[in-house]
Amino acid sequence: MTIDRRALLRGIATSPVALAAPPFLRHVSAQSGTLDIAAVYSLSGTFANVGTMLNDGSRWAVEKYDSVLGKKLNYLLLDDRGDPGEAVRKVQEVMTERGVKHIIGCTNSAIALAVQKEVYARGGIYVQEAGADESTGKDCNKSNFRWPVASYSAVNATVRPLIEKFPDAKKWYTITGQYVFGDSLLTNCKEVFKEKGVQHVGNSYHSLADREYSGYIATALAANPDVLAICNFGNQTVDVIRQAISFGVKRKTKILAIWSTGLDQYQALGPDNCEGVYFGCNFWHGVDTPGGRVVADVVKGKTGNVPNYLHACGYAVAQVLLEGLIKAGTTDVPAVIKALEGMTYEGPTGTEMVRPEDHQVIKDYYLMFGKAKSAMKDKNDYAEILAATKAFLPPEKTGCKMT
Amino acid sequence: MSTQLLVFQVLNGLGIGMIYFLLSVGLTLIFGLMRFVNFAHGAFYLVAAYMAFAITRWTGSIWGALVVAPLAVALLAVIIERILLRHTYRMPHEAQILITFAVALLIQEAVIIVFGPLGQNVPPPTSLSGVVFLGPYVYPAYRLAVVAVAAFVAVGLWLVVERTKLGAVLRAGSESAEMVGLLGINVDRVFMTTFALGGALAGLAGVLAAPLRGVEPFMSVEALGIAFVVIVVGGLGTLSGALVGGLLIGLVQSIMSTLWPQGAQLMIYASMALVILARPSGLLGRF
Repeated sequence: MTIDRRALLRGIATSPVALAAPPFLRHVSAQSGTLDIAAVYSLSGTFANVGTMLNDGSRWAVEKYDSVLGKKLNYLLLDDRGDPGEAVRKVQEVMTERGVKHIIGCTNSAIALAVQKEVYARGGIYVQEAGADESTGKDCNKSNFRWPVASYSAVNATVRPLIEKFPDAKKWYTITGQYVFGDSLLTNCKEVFKEKGVQHVGNSYHSLADREYSGYIATALAANPDVLAICNFGNQTVDVIRQAISFGVKRKTKILAIWSTGLDQYQALGPDNCEGVYFGCNFWHGVDTPGGRVVADVVKGKTGNVPNYLHACGYAVAQVLLEGLIKAGTTDVPAVIKALEGMTYEGPTGTEMVRPEDHQVIKDYYLMFGKAKSAMKDKNDYAEILAATKAFLPPEKTGCKMT
Repeated sequence: MSTQLLVFQVLNGLGIGMIYFLLSVGLTLIFGLMRFVNFAHGAFYLVAAYMAFAITRWTGSIWGALVVAPLAVALLAVIIERILLRHTYRMPHEAQILITFAVALLIQEAVIIVFGPLGQNVPPPTSLSGVVFLGPYVYPAYRLAVVAVAAFVAVGLWLVVERTKLGAVLRAGSESAEMVGLLGINVDRVFMTTFALGGALAGLAGVLAAPLRGVEPFMSVEALGIAFVVIVVGGLGTLSGALVGGLLIGLVQSIMSTLWPQGAQLMIYASMALVILARPSGLLGRF
């Protein structure tokens, strides 16, 4: 067997030896006065439209901060093409070859769960926007932080108040995306239904590739539910709502999209489809807060419009990391993790806090109700907030054993 | 599953099948005559859907788009065919796939630049925005209208192909383009016309689909995938194959979404695999 010089160098660079190598081999960019912030987003695949806007939000936040601790920030986009395996490979590459330690972003929960393990194993820090409970639950780790609420919170901040608002709506049907996040929403729904004595009259799973939902909707209609709860995300939420309404579901049944991305989805649905539909939402531009005003200014400067959830969420994950770096006064990962634990800051939804026990950001989740077109005060005034709730599992019940 | 639900899923499946037929018929027409694999078919559908969005926003109604968008896409198809694709007719299929795939990517990126990456709503015409009651069943009026248009297109295309001189030329061309050329017919022009017709059909499908599923830049990939499944199942290059393939896939998808929801999408591809195993040329294929 022979080995050439290039293969030998490549082997050394990717081996554990490289990981243990002196900092001057790896932190070239740090030495030159810049700090790399790697962002993992899907710019193609089923959720590419989500990934593209999240990426915009994160990039604009990095541009807004420009530099921290005297180091110019350098935004590195890692396009995972919607594939967790690709995401992990790209994260491995930048961590081993460029020595990057500070990573943000994900487009779906499966990607976040894969990346958070990888970043932890390689001694980095990761702030992301997954929805699955596991992220800050049983799969939590010291390196991982999450900005949006978990699916537990989304369900408890929407399903629970809706059950209380309509005590006669006893029959609920769910349409669920068969992926980590959809299942996580469904599991939490079932627990609330059980606790509240609500009858779960059926569930239809759909796959990640589905775009035609009429068959599922027909099955749901046959069960004659009082409420149709939609447990998925992205374009699939919009498609299910649109098709359900076209089949006349709204005539007799309330529709609840437990997890929506807010404004961009309302625009995709149009006011006629939004009217009378209940939505769960992580961010709403109409909530006036100091942090929200900063995001609004940044987004207005870039798009001329108000921020949507995707912009705000992308912005927030970068903001959390950068505020942690500033508070720590160093780029050293253990120090930044320590600084982040318990940190409060002015985030897009108001004063937000990073819970030390599981690294979950504690913030409001909104239950919203679609307005009639005639009631809209401006072109973005699609919905009103019915409830703003911080519904989080107590740390001891999340299943998180911080390592 | 109750009998009532089963009957509804069958009816719904037939409706989905007609929509899938509309999606795939342009693709199968082009392949049938020209033996040309057009990966830009989904992009033509995308362009028309966004034209429907733009026209609806400007005029408040989708009706104008039903005429303008298929014609505009036909023109776009002709331009692309004249400038690029006609040079690839004698090349292997791989070259045709690569170049039409590149065209599709360019169109998709252009749509993102012009309209942005997020989805947009295209409302159906007001007169078709409600539901109709078919006995005990509720069905969207607009969806029913799309099924009717697809049925009209199927009959119209059958008449053109089977009962007109143009159809005779198309059928002869699909058997032997060289022989048709020797008979003094301008095959080059026939190819161009076929490509324009295929583009127009993709355009019509795009306009009609826009109110059903909204528009977003990646809808072309989904449409192309379904179109290929339909024509592989039905038989490459035959109109009747596209119809039978579309209906079969629609039925499988609709019925399975009640019987085994999580496997409904899987069963579409399982059906395709079974058909390929039993009849490699498709249910009504000739090759």
